Amino acid sequence: MDAFEAIKVTFFQECDELLADLEAKLMLLEQGQTDLETINAVFRAVHSVKGGAGAFGLEALVRFAHVFETLMDELRSGRKPCDTITIKTLLRASDVLADHIQAAQGLIPQVDEGRSAALVAELEMLTHGGEAPPAVEDEDDDFGFMPMAFDMALDEPVAAPEPELEAVGWRIVFKPMGRMYANANETGLLLRELGRLGPTTVVLDDSETPTLDALSVEDGCLTWTVDLDAAVDEAALLEVFDFVESDCELAITPLGGASNMNAPFEDEPAAVLPASDDLDIAALLAKASGAVADPVPETIPFAAIEPEPAPAVATPAPTPVAAAPVAASASVAPAPVTIRVDLDRVDRLINVVGELVIQQAMLSQRVLESGLARSSGIALGLEDLELLTREIQDSVMAIRAQPVKSVFQRMPRLVREVADMVSKQVRLVTVGEDTEVDKTVVERLAEPITHMLRNAIDHGLETPDERIAAGKSAEGTVRLAALHRSGRIVIEISDDGRGINRERVKKIAIDKGLIAADAPLTDEQIDNLIFAPGFSTAAVVSDISGRGVGMDVVKRSIQALGGRISISSVPGKGSTFTLSLPLTLAVLDGMVVAAAEQTLIAPLPTIVESLTPQAADLHFVGGVDPVIRFRDRFLPLIDVALIMGFREQPMNPTDGVAVVVETEGGQQAALLFDAIQGQRQVVIKSLETNYQQVEGVAAATILGDGRVALILDVDVIVTDMRRKSIRPDFKLAS
Amino acid sequence: MSETLILAEVLDLNAAQPLKAELLALRGHALTLDASAVERLGGLCLQILMSARKTWAADGVNLSLGSVSQYWTEQWAALGAPDFNNEGALA
Amino acid sequence: MTKTVLTIDDSRTMRDMLLMALEDAGYTVIQAVDGVDGLETLAARGADVIITDINMPRMDGFGVIEGVRADPNHRTTPVLVLTTESDVEKKARARAAGATGWIVKPFDPAKLVDAVRRVAA
Repeated sequence: MDAFEAIKVTFFQECDELLADLEAKLMLLEQGQTDLETINAVFRAVHSVKGGAGAFGLEALVRFAHVFETLMDELRSGRKPCDTITIKTLLRASDVLADHIQAAQGLIPQVDEGRSAALVAELEMLTHGGEAPPAVEDEDDDFGFMPMAFDMALDEPVAAPEPELEAVGWRIVFKPMGRMYANANETGLLLRELGRLGPTTVVLDDSETPTLDALSVEDGCLTWTVDLDAAVDEAALLEVFDFVESDCELAITPLGGASNMNAPFEDEPAAVLPASDDLDIAALLAKASGAVADPVPETIPFAAIEPEPAPAVATPAPTPVAAAPVAASASVAPAPVTIRVDLDRVDRLINVVGELVIQQAMLSQRVLESGLARSSGIALGLEDLELLTREIQDSVMAIRAQPVKSVFQRMPRLVREVADMVSKQVRLVTVGEDTEVDKTVVERLAEPITHMLRNAIDHGLETPDERIAAGKSAEGTVRLAALHRSGRIVIEISDDGRGINRERVKKIAIDKGLIAADAPLTDEQIDNLIFAPGFSTAAVVSDISGRGVGMDVVKRSIQALGGRISISSVPGKGSTFTLSLPLTLAVLDGMVVAAAEQTLIAPLPTIVESLTPQAADLHFVGGVDPVIRFRDRFLPLIDVALIMGFREQPMNPTDGVAVVVETEGGQQAALLFDAIQGQRQVVIKSLETNYQQVEGVAAATILGDGRVALILDVDVIVTDMRRKSIRPDFKLAS
Repeated sequence: MSETLILAEVLDLNAAQPLKAELLALRGHALTLDASAVERLGGLCLQILMSARKTWAADGVNLSLGSVSQYWTEQWAALGAPDFNNEGALA
Repeated sequence: MTKTVLTIDDSRTMRDMLLMALEDAGYTVIQAVDGVDGLETLAARGADVIITDINMPRMDGFGVIEGVRADPNHRTTPVLVLTTESDVEKKARARAAGATGWIVKPFDPAKLVDAVRRVAA
């Protein structure tokens, strides 16, 4: 990849960040935070997209961004109000801007031209206050495209354009004013540049220079006459004086036998370009010497257009300049210092650290087996090593942790689009977008969240009329929240819609043979039927939320991440989907247990308590299904080795250990094992990639002694498998 | 009795006011400018030097240039400035 | 001795572009991500030429120019301003604040290097 392409990659990465920022700031505007800094931030984001796009000759993107930017400029100048209609348009414009960026990137074949044109028209309408935009085409010319102008070959000399004139040479007479020097331009440099165009003869005229007592140090009183003996284009000459033309008196006349001069010079041989700035020189000079406090002199035209955040140099500066801005901006966090690292490198590091953890555990085990005293130097050293290893692992995992913001920020657009499609009014509230989770988890959250949001708007929320009839506001609210809870990340998607129609769900489930017609189901069980494979069909899935994917698929994709999903619903009030995922897919705190010769891991977050079953606490429902008393309640007691097929006959509960676990849905049960061997952090090895998926098993790990241990999927064991084993009459179809 | 003024290395915007002050303080004295250290000469200081040249000539006092740096020689020529000593020595 | 250019821009893309063009032309480049960072970097490391964007968080390009011109140590340092369009108002304001020159984005690297050379003493 050449350098140019590398920068282009950077540009598109930056575009993603800018779009995310844009979206976030537009949301603030929508929430009524229409302060100048927010509007300015929106302007800057669009402006930066346009700037980069221009460099890469992405014309369609530049044109759209330009129209967008122009409106933002009106808003930040206060010439146009930032009202609700405008903000709605800006939100849709940001969506189209995103499309343009994707198209420029080749991610989508093309932008919906009709939509883009319609928004351009809307933006221009808002910019020009309902009048037809004056001379839009001229305006477009103003930002001069330079398609693919960024040619990295710098070897070629910067040749002046081929002379079209017969001029033999030029006479340049110029007299710098004091402010030319104040702006750090220098006569010597200008003369040097002229010298690059051809041989020059320079004559200094000091006739206007007064004696020292009358000399004002900051006024110009020298005039230079330069004869350039080269037939260059006049434009090349003007370019030399481009930066200083209003800071000096300048006259350029052709020399020699030139016959076809530019018209102005035929008429007026000495075309003097007068200094035309209406600046208060005294104020400027005073400012240059640091004597004036006003950061934006009022004499400067249009100073009011850009009331940017109070420039930090506002303080008059006999104080060192650097100190003032620091103090003035102390409340603003500086941009964090970052490096970009290839993800592969991080993952390699994580893998190696995973091996280190295993190796360290194995070593500890060996030392233990060798019979060394726990207080021996080696054992103590190993303990320290274990702490260090753990710390390294945490630090490494933190590298991959990212806020869920990147996913959450994509959702407002989705909500707008779905709401438009189904003609509902929806307000999206997001909470906890800074919650961090492993990068892989973040990436794989997008699809289920998208699906569930669609579902919430399409099925959960009522139409505005229905809502008003039900005594609610016409606008429905969908809430998307992320939080950390007991070592996992929980995503909640709730709506204030109609809630689950349990009668209907039950009827569908019966019709599809998913449940027996007389199955005694709790409300919660009915609600969760929507996750049953085969529940969703074309009959209930609309274009919006369906796309041919049922909630069972969502559930499976969540489970593949080691996650759980559940729903709770209140008729007439709304539904809440709760998604719970591990923070990382790489490590897990677990309890090591033995079940019929097998070593298993029970994830620590699911464990409530462990206890030794006493005969008095045990009961057998119907003489078969064991239950155990736990805190004045009876919990089902599940013989794990039995249901997983490790042994044929149930064990005697009083010979083993019961571990009380709780599912994501809040269901409790006691798992019966032979013995508890300890607790430890284990490195998760995916079973799917290494073995076939086994029901009731989430993943596997390698223990310190080198044995493979299966990590239990507690939810599956407690809900699905138990039902299968003990309630053949109530069985979910597979 | 002739004074010598050693010119600063950098004669830019910042050096203009001090240079003028130094020269004014030496007005009326025969003066030699030592430009052997000069590595930068800007337009504003050139003005002051040209003004000094006029001032000393008007006062009928001798002002001359002593040793110069290579930069000075080149830059003085590039700026199209006249020989510093000629006129100054007239009076 | 190679000359040092301080580039101040909040856009990574733009910083990368400036870096590449200027380093190819033999300049040493130091970077800052906004106006405040720019003035701090200037105070700490100095520069022969400054190139600054206008629209930036924390402190904009006008603030940078005014800060440079008010600093006795650096007031003679040339400051080139990046403008996206040949915006007359911005140019006038930048010049009034003390800008030495400007570079119109999107820029041709040759033009950029040209502009730096023109103002670099």
